[in-house]
Amino acid sequence: MNTSLQQASGWRAELDLRFTARPGRTVLSGRRRLGPLAVQRPFYPEGAPCHVYLLHPPGGVVGGDTLDINVHCEAGAHALITTPGATKFYRSAGPRAFQRQHLRLAGNATLEWLPQENILFPGARLDLRTHIELGAGARLLAWEINCLGRPVIDERFDHGDALFGLDISREGVPLLRERLRVRADNADDISGLRGAAVNATLLASGADQTLCDALQAHCSALKDACAGVTLCGDILVLRYLGQDTADCHRLFRGARDLLRPRTLDTAPDAPRIWAT
Amino acid sequence: MAIATEPGGSDTRLAQLRLMQLISPSLPVGSFTYSQGLEWAVEAGWVKDADDLQAWLGHLLREALAATDLALLVRLYDAALAGDDKALNDWAQLTLACRESAELRLEEANRGRALVGVLEKLDLPVSAGLRPVLAACQCAGFAYACAHWEISKPAMLTGYAWSWLENTCLAGVKIIPLGQSDGQRILAALAAEVDEAINTALSLPDDDIGAGSTALAIASSRHHYQYTRLFRS
Repeated sequence: MNTSLQQASGWRAELDLRFTARPGRTVLSGRRRLGPLAVQRPFYPEGAPCHVYLLHPPGGVVGGDTLDINVHCEAGAHALITTPGATKFYRSAGPRAFQRQHLRLAGNATLEWLPQENILFPGARLDLRTHIELGAGARLLAWEINCLGRPVIDERFDHGDALFGLDISREGVPLLRERLRVRADNADDISGLRGAAVNATLLASGADQTLCDALQAHCSALKDACAGVTLCGDILVLRYLGQDTADCHRLFRGARDLLRPRTLDTAPDAPRIWAT
Repeated sequence: MAIATEPGGSDTRLAQLRLMQLISPSLPVGSFTYSQGLEWAVEAGWVKDADDLQAWLGHLLREALAATDLALLVRLYDAALAGDDKALNDWAQLTLACRESAELRLEEANRGRALVGVLEKLDLPVSAGLRPVLAACQCAGFAYACAHWEISKPAMLTGYAWSWLENTCLAGVKIIPLGQSDGQRILAALAAEVDEAINTALSLPDDDIGAGSTALAIASSRHHYQYTRLFRS
């Protein structure tokens, strides 16, 4: 009820980014923004790939906010997008926050979509959808790390709700679809989230069974968390359930180091901002 | 009742018997060889007793079966009834995209291939164009057979939900292991939740189709690497 009015009371932010392959390097050829979403100036710590830091609304996202992020990688472009810190979704007085991420990769484009974690405060209401369209030969390395509550201070996500949607298609054919619905009354379900504060997914296109097998060893080495790796077509899907975002970052960064040379023909190289 | 005004089967006695045949564990599609990650969940200590098994299956019934299998069967059935092969193919592809692991995708395809073979032996007409669609997705074959045999949509969903419950529950009974009466008690308890799952499926918008049972997805991923296993998923 009254949804449009409540949404109108929140922040409406939109950011469109377009990356184009030029001789020697990829450039941020288009940038259109509305509201408090922004990017810093692109930079080139490793040659051709264009690195961009995505800046969320200062202070975090509240109920009623709507954020749209549209990324278009043109043919042959290579972009890496990350965030300088966690994105916080605060307790809502009622309305949901919406964040829609639409990533389009043209033929042979490469996108690394590596935001730091989303933190959902207790009482947050979030609808977060990620829609990834791959062209022929497009290469994707992406992750999403969601933290429910703040486990470091024993704060649980004991009220609020969230929907995490994921769609990946290649040339119009659906490859992967998920709709993770989290509520206080299902967050402990033993075949669902099992009470884990942190749930996360890493996706890598162009993977094979050998890579999967190598990452399985990383999964079985985890002590206080659980993870599994599988192949959905040529998309490697690594899933993590645990209590510690730092633990998850280690697993995913290690996986990326292993994957990057094989699936993106690029040497391992961690964005420096992650070290701060 | 919505049933009377909906297009589709009229649930004649013969239609009801056809549904029983389709969901019978004796239908040679190997339903009893899949545990859908449960075998690993038991080994990992996630599922230890009857209460755990009921909780494991209950979550999947409410959150996964309702929002994927049952919701997709509704669309597949409508497409089959309309003779719309393109729509049938599109929904079958989405069904596979909703399967969280390589093993679950293989299960969907293996059971689809087995089912279409059985249907052809029962003289159910399958066009050359449609055959690969049904052979890749057991949900598509199941919905197609139900539409052809004039089984109504609610009856199809009820039968499918029961068949899934029975197969996975009995897999759990074997793996944990539990007594037969434990299994029957779980089936009776969860059967009472099927109606709500079907209502969820019938009212779900297209864009909300899909689930996110992370523990199931991890269990199924890990099952692939399980050293000793009796089940194929």
